[in-house]
Amino acid sequence: MDKFTLFQFYALLKREFLEHRNLFLGAPAVLAALILVAAIWIASQLEQAEIVKGMEYLSVLFDGLSPFDMAPFFMMLAIPFMITLYICSLIYLVNTLFQDRKEMSVLFWQSMPVSNFKTVLSKVVTVVVVAPIFYVAIIFALYLVGMIWLTVLGLINGVDLVGIGWMFLAAIASLLLIYLSTFIASLWLFPTLGWLLLFSAFARKTPALWAIGVFILVGFLEDFMFGSQYLANWVESRATNPNQYLIFDFHNVLDRLFNYDMLFGLIVGSILVAGAVYMRRFID
Amino acid sequence: MKNIILKNRYTLLITVLIVYMGVLVTEGAITGREARVFDFENPYFDLNINNLEEFFEIEVER
Amino acid sequence: MTNIVEATALVKSYGNFKALDGVDLAIPSGSISGLIGPNGAGKTTTLKSLIGLCDVEGELVVAGRDPRVSRHKLMEDVCFIADVGILPKWFTVNQVIDYVEAVHPRFDRKKAEKFLSTTDIPAKKRIKNLSKGMVTQLHLAMVMSIDVKLLVLDEPTLGLDIIYRKEFYDRLLNDYYDGNRTIIISTHQVEEIETLLSHLVFINKGKIVLDSQMSDIAEIYTEVLVDADMVQQADELKPIHIRTLLGKKSYTFEAVDKAQLQELGELYTPSVADLFVAKMSEDRHG
Repeated sequence: MDKFTLFQFYALLKREFLEHRNLFLGAPAVLAALILVAAIWIASQLEQAEIVKGMEYLSVLFDGLSPFDMAPFFMMLAIPFMITLYICSLIYLVNTLFQDRKEMSVLFWQSMPVSNFKTVLSKVVTVVVVAPIFYVAIIFALYLVGMIWLTVLGLINGVDLVGIGWMFLAAIASLLLIYLSTFIASLWLFPTLGWLLLFSAFARKTPALWAIGVFILVGFLEDFMFGSQYLANWVESRATNPNQYLIFDFHNVLDRLFNYDMLFGLIVGSILVAGAVYMRRFID
Repeated sequence: MKNIILKNRYTLLITVLIVYMGVLVTEGAITGREARVFDFENPYFDLNINNLEEFFEIEVER
Repeated sequence: MTNIVEATALVKSYGNFKALDGVDLAIPSGSISGLIGPNGAGKTTTLKSLIGLCDVEGELVVAGRDPRVSRHKLMEDVCFIADVGILPKWFTVNQVIDYVEAVHPRFDRKKAEKFLSTTDIPAKKRIKNLSKGMVTQLHLAMVMSIDVKLLVLDEPTLGLDIIYRKEFYDRLLNDYYDGNRTIIISTHQVEEIETLLSHLVFINKGKIVLDSQMSDIAEIYTEVLVDADMVQQADELKPIHIRTLLGKKSYTFEAVDKAQLQELGELYTPSVADLFVAKMSEDRHG
């Protein structure tokens, strides 16, 4: 890949971010602000002595323990962010190939020497790789504010800050787990991603309705024609059990990435994404 | 063939859906897939959700 | 002279409606061609098919490529401005420049900035906050900074006031056109571009009704202000259009010997606008 192609692809990703910055930066920033306000409110309800006691407790708890072992502790804090990310990703996928046709700017995008494949690929990369980076960055900012807050409190009240430092390291390590979780979850849900992109490129109106409607229709058709429910089963097995969206242990990463079910999902998803690429030629 | 598939958005959609269903049904028939929730190892989940206080105490007593 | 666009028997149907019904088109390299027709004649469909945004049947070669197969490659050699207002509304002016610079290998940023410095367009504003005229100016500045072989303009000045319209074509002619590039302009406002054109194409109901070099128009078409006593002879020569002008009858003839027409009355070369009306009404009646 030459330099120009890389710059070009970077510009495509930047375009996605600029167009949908509310979903990728606005939403997690608002969430972080809400959490901060809630934390301040809770702190204001507590006695100073209670907070100091809690800090001493945490300091002892984390002192000397491997940040990577303690990282899962902070995964819980990130769950609201991950739920927000999944919802925003769904909204993004349904709209992204639909919006520019609706506002007619598609004629401008298509008048540039960018292939449909690159355009759709930039959207896939945005969801799978780029969006989680912004969410993790916002969570990082939240943790940073929290750490400064606790450090100041600790200095004033003479708490041992070494243990708090260990806790912060564990929080940082959790960011990596959060990123891996969201990255692997979006690959795991690749068939859903492809399905939404396909209908985003297809529908002239209400792409979400088309996506859901046709899904139900195809499910019935399968049952009717083949007497099987592989389609429904397929979805059920990938949509239930929140454990599949969360990775609590670094040792799980490779197992989650390289297994038959993941591979098959990627193949099926690719069929749908390829459909979305070809669907791009029908723009009116 | 290609001309028929790419004639308009509907023929393309139907083609993609047929391929999609074909692959799913064939794979399902071969592997005998059933509705099952895949097992995901997750040693911390129980600890964190259900026994949060216990978790605290275990660690501190150490 | 070679042709940059070669189209044979283009057909595009929407259900029973044929938007293009066997269009043959040959646009010479280096020409400024006007594609002129009433609303719904198939102008936009023709232009869109030239840049691969519309699947048509028939043979089509643009700048040596089939637009249906390799649109994104073709767009390195072809630029396109549609109807005003197609720039994405949420982009700022600077972001548009950044984007085009990154994705288009033939874009010259310095040129674009020079063009924009001669306008009132604020670099940090979003497109949605610009006036219609400014959006068109911006789009033209972008397109003029890209070194391409063919520029396709689909009703580029629709909805603009006369000052912007005049400036648009002035810039196009003075700052962009160099004799090597080809420009295709579609419009239904004939008068505006009449003086620009070197090649003229009329389209109506999905069919090409006239395709001629501007220099040939005067030879082929003649308008005659027919004297009252010569009306009968004039009718016999099969005029394509008759209109009343200042109490006299004005006849338009296609490919009739001028010596023969001289006897009927005063001869003129019809303006493109008059020719357009003549051709359209001929099409309606015939």
